[in-house]
Amino acid sequence: MGDAALTEAPAGGARSSSGDLGRLAFGFLAVSALSGLALVPFFSPAHALESLERLHGGMPWGFFLRALHAYSSFGLLVTAVAHLVQVLARRTERQLSAGSWWRSVLLLPLTLLALLSGFVLRGDAAAAEALPVGSRIAETVPLIGPELQRLLLGVIPGDLGAISLHHAGTLTLLLWLITAEHGRRLVPDARSLVLAGLVSASLAGTVPLPLGPPPGAFSGGAARVLLGPWYLLGLQGALVDLPVPSAWLAPLLLVLLLGFVRHADRARRLVVVLLAGWVAAYAAFTVRILLLARN
Amino acid sequence: MSSRRDFLGELWRWTGGALLFASALILHRVLRAAAPAPRETTLSPEAVSRAIAEGGAELGGLFVTGPPSAPTALSLTCTHLGCRVRPASSGGFACPCHGSRFAVDGKRTFGPARAPLARASLERRGASWVTRL
Repeated sequence: MGDAALTEAPAGGARSSSGDLGRLAFGFLAVSALSGLALVPFFSPAHALESLERLHGGMPWGFFLRALHAYSSFGLLVTAVAHLVQVLARRTERQLSAGSWWRSVLLLPLTLLALLSGFVLRGDAAAAEALPVGSRIAETVPLIGPELQRLLLGVIPGDLGAISLHHAGTLTLLLWLITAEHGRRLVPDARSLVLAGLVSASLAGTVPLPLGPPPGAFSGGAARVLLGPWYLLGLQGALVDLPVPSAWLAPLLLVLLLGFVRHADRARRLVVVLLAGWVAAYAAFTVRILLLARN
Repeated sequence: MSSRRDFLGELWRWTGGALLFASALILHRVLRAAAPAPRETTLSPEAVSRAIAEGGAELGGLFVTGPPSAPTALSLTCTHLGCRVRPASSGGFACPCHGSRFAVDGKRTFGPARAPLARASLERRGASWVTRL
């Protein structure tokens, strides 16, 4: 994201478009962080859904503010992935030092964790189900599972305090620090910030982002699959067929493959093929859960 | 040959690393000690009687059924990943997260869950019914 090394003017002085995508991702991160800051006074972890419903229904522009935060976060994920794909396609990963590349690769799972924690903070029915799922998955990590679960989700069952702190504090700070190191600049450039803001605001103003029903709303109704966040549908689908530890093993494998791309000389093609296989499997599991939800 | 500045730099790095490791170890111990206590659910006798009269009803994450003298509770927490199961249109219970299905008595019939829904009897404690599910 915002990669200065990648965006140093090549011969001819043209700016690299993968660098443009990286800078745009930094712009989306800034819009997401700023809009998140604006949401802080209205959000209560103890009454998550109620506070968001009040924001939606009772505050002028409240719905817009929340949608701006969500769409800028989606924009961050989409542009970060597009930037990564372009870097891999152009084989420009070696323009970063090994340490910086590995830290940059961590931006992907950190972004997903930030988005997932935001999804859980909605406090609606789907979010309420995501909490025990995340908890059980964390518990299956060998040696540190229960401790990791308590660190990320807190020690009080069902409480969203720890998650909201990680969402607004830990994860945002880590994302910003690593992105700043990666892009060698502390803040995004004005053009990327304005572009990211305009795209997010256009979506927020035109595509509504409704909240789901409260957690208890389904208890009396007929069963139906509750879909998780769109970017984790592949993981939800995988958990139908694969053992629970696959939920952290698969992302770990992705991070390792992406990290090793920089070190692989002759094996680079193999690593890229494995990455493509990972993406294809993820897409197949996404279809799997969508089909299950339809039946 | 390394200079005094290099040596001090290395010393600071190793000291920082050791402090970081010690902090992580302390955090690990603190978090390990914070294991949640086993959950106990208390139900009012009126609610339990009503659930039994209806042939079974959901009460606080449990499905309570008769007989009136020895009511039992079925946990509505899916044994796969902890989602709340709901009544299925075809009978029994279904998990909305990954599609596991359970019979009315809690036996697993389909999907990724391996174990049946947890079941326990309700114990009389004073005027209330209590269960550890």
